[in-house]
Amino acid sequence: MSNVIINRVAEFLRRHPPFSFLEEEDLLGIARAVVISYLAKDEVLFRKGDPANPHFFILKEGQILLQEDGEIREYCDVGDLFGVLALLGKRPYVLDAVAGENSLVYAVPVEEFEKLLQKNPKVSLYFAAGFAAGQVVFRTDLGQGQKAREVFSRNEQDHSLLIFSGQSTIQITKNVLTCSPSDSVQEAAKRMDKQQVSSIVICDESDFPIGILTDKDLRSKVLAKGLSPSQPVSEIMSSPVITKKPDSDFSELYLSMIKNRLHHLVLTEDGTPKSRVCGIFSDHDVLLSMGNSPAVLIHALINAKSSEEMGQIRDRAETMLRYYLENEVSMDFVAGVMTEINDVIIQQAIDEGQKQLLPDFPEFEVVPFAFLSMGSEGREEQLLRTDQDNALVYGDVPDKLKEKAKDYFLHLGTYVVETLLTCGFASCPGEIMASNPKWVLPISSWKAQFSEWILHPNPEALMKSSIFFDFRVVKGSRSLGDELSNHIFDEIKKKPIFLNFLAQNALQNPPPLGFFRNFLVEKSGEHRDQFDIKARAMLPLTDLARLLILYHGIPGVNNTFKRFEKLAEIEPNYTELFTQAGKAYEILMRMRALEGLQQNSSGRFIAPEKLGKIQRHLLKNSFAPIQELQEIVQVRFQLDYFRS
Amino acid sequence: MSWWPFRSESKKQDFVEEYLSLFEKSIPGIRKISQLGFVVLDTETTGLDPKNDYVISFGAIKIQKGKILVETAIECYPESPKEGGETANIHGLVQRENLLKPKAFSQKLLEYIGPSILVGHHLNFDLEMLQKICSSSGLKNFLNQSLDTLELAVRLEHGPHVNWQQIPMKEYSLDALCERYQIPSDDRHTAGGDAFLTAQLLLKLLKVAEKKGISNYQQLFR
Repeated sequence: MSNVIINRVAEFLRRHPPFSFLEEEDLLGIARAVVISYLAKDEVLFRKGDPANPHFFILKEGQILLQEDGEIREYCDVGDLFGVLALLGKRPYVLDAVAGENSLVYAVPVEEFEKLLQKNPKVSLYFAAGFAAGQVVFRTDLGQGQKAREVFSRNEQDHSLLIFSGQSTIQITKNVLTCSPSDSVQEAAKRMDKQQVSSIVICDESDFPIGILTDKDLRSKVLAKGLSPSQPVSEIMSSPVITKKPDSDFSELYLSMIKNRLHHLVLTEDGTPKSRVCGIFSDHDVLLSMGNSPAVLIHALINAKSSEEMGQIRDRAETMLRYYLENEVSMDFVAGVMTEINDVIIQQAIDEGQKQLLPDFPEFEVVPFAFLSMGSEGREEQLLRTDQDNALVYGDVPDKLKEKAKDYFLHLGTYVVETLLTCGFASCPGEIMASNPKWVLPISSWKAQFSEWILHPNPEALMKSSIFFDFRVVKGSRSLGDELSNHIFDEIKKKPIFLNFLAQNALQNPPPLGFFRNFLVEKSGEHRDQFDIKARAMLPLTDLARLLILYHGIPGVNNTFKRFEKLAEIEPNYTELFTQAGKAYEILMRMRALEGLQQNSSGRFIAPEKLGKIQRHLLKNSFAPIQELQEIVQVRFQLDYFRS
Repeated sequence: MSWWPFRSESKKQDFVEEYLSLFEKSIPGIRKISQLGFVVLDTETTGLDPKNDYVISFGAIKIQKGKILVETAIECYPESPKEGGETANIHGLVQRENLLKPKAFSQKLLEYIGPSILVGHHLNFDLEMLQKICSSSGLKNFLNQSLDTLELAVRLEHGPHVNWQQIPMKEYSLDALCERYQIPSDDRHTAGGDAFLTAQLLLKLLKVAEKKGISNYQQLFR
């Protein structure tokens, strides 16, 4: 059915290449997928270093400036296309995109367009030609389209977009802080402080570099030696300076820094000290050009000014995650880093929430509380931003304060949950969140709740136990957390039959393979013919690990693969099996996360026929320990006799 | 809204029950506006009298995470008792096809809007007209929070304690606002076209609101 709105969008697109090359039907398909946002002047659409959006952009009205370190590189006008590097989906943005005026921006999902790239040679040539020319913005004027066509006809074989993979994304600071050799050390330090930079270049009258002074020089050559700050910088500067050309590639710059043990490298016009200074490259820039390191991200989170900003940083963490996963970085490290990042978000949210709420609830500043992450986040296994599972426990308060305490902690919990929502963590469909009055309780009520589940292990209670018993204190009082886990162990000791129920529950997950060692895939619905890696492979392992850890009464080990490591230690008979199970779990986590990143989904459903042969084999092998473990549990908890 | 004393109560259809169940949980006041889901809608009607006139077309589009999602755009045409060719020609703009019976229309409408915040220009009129259709399926009134772009524009331009007597209403028609907020409005007078304009207007108004410190649910709805 034709639709006024889609037609309206299509009409606009049609006026601008490469959309003008499209058939009506394809154009309507693109128009339907458009997402429209509005930016106020000076608002940022994306930043240099941000992971590429799965969209590219067309300016509908207003003006977008593409900037680098505040310097304008390109202007986009109505109809221009930008952010096209995202077409490759592989590299972060190289420029900041800032609204120069109030702007309406249309975003087109890359996957829609990729289909057309393959189908329509005119469109792919349009881009290929632009890329080859190093274009950042694809102009709307037809001259460019004309040129693209010419390039294409000469170069018909070349459809590959490989040209870009060699492109460097290093960022060099262009505005170099300088002073003259006769300036005093104090004056130099003052300027560095004002500009908030860690170095200053000392230049002669013709702007040729003769020396450099860094934070470290101030510390070790001035303060430590007790020299007077009034002496000229020429006395203490490092000289001569090692220089390079600004268009040198990253490896050359970096090698030169490593070889000479430099933290700052001065760039001059012709690369020798006998020409004008035109830039500086510091090891901080190196760090940034290496993209998103955990330290950079965590630092940024701690300094973030709003939950929106934290959300953007969390997006960047995903780029890093992908890199780690693809490069087989150990799961222990990857999970640890991602957990830390997620925890910092929660901790920041709690600090901010308290700051806002305490003026109205001053009496609760001293009441201990703990914010609990549960489920996969509790187990320190949440790589992708799947559902939130969290709760809040607080110390018991006198009767007259009970209602107000509940009110305060519910507000605090809600603040955290809302911050997590803004940061891209989906809401829990079962409402197991610290914004739900059912799960924001004083410690006595939590104990009663846990006892109740252990005493009456009906299916509902077992399901809740499997989520709640994996809790972990993310912020607040550790001792409240310890008190709770001790309570769980004590109660289970008193009522050990709970474990038999839990064991029975752990064996109820659907099997991964059929009789002929074929993957058992979903028979119907949205995920038909896909394999549910969570329910059929990961959940059995998590359930088994939890069961055995509770059985042994070991507190403080939450991670499924660490639980298996621990079990391998305390049950020497099965060391081999538990080690294998832990390894299998790591493989499954990696596969699921990669699938999720590729499909922009939870990664839960995998199409077996899309996996390579090795991957398929790896996946099947990871199931082997499941069955063996299930047999052990079957015997240990006497499940054959248990069904009465 | 169904204050007709003579309208007999209809039995609630299952889809109505399902719709009502979506409102058991309220939206926390501190939820950021960027996290709210909006449905921006407009109707074309046979006239301005809710008692005797009928909706002939309905258009809407969703805003999520601060972005207009074009793929969510819908237009549909409920069957009206005055059906028979002449109403279609009143506006003469839309070729009405796939006419929906009241029950089918109500189901489609309620499933589409869910618990989203409803937005429109002179929204109450649209809601009254739509509710009239849904009442035959047993819906007494919409439970959605609602936001009128007219009221929002007045509030932003004249402050929250405005004296409505002094507001020149002409300046707050959708046409006038589109002109003032630089939204090219060449598609007027189709429900879908107006919904799209209103959606763009909303994005711009929310940006103004943000500058005035209105950034969460509670502040938006005071």
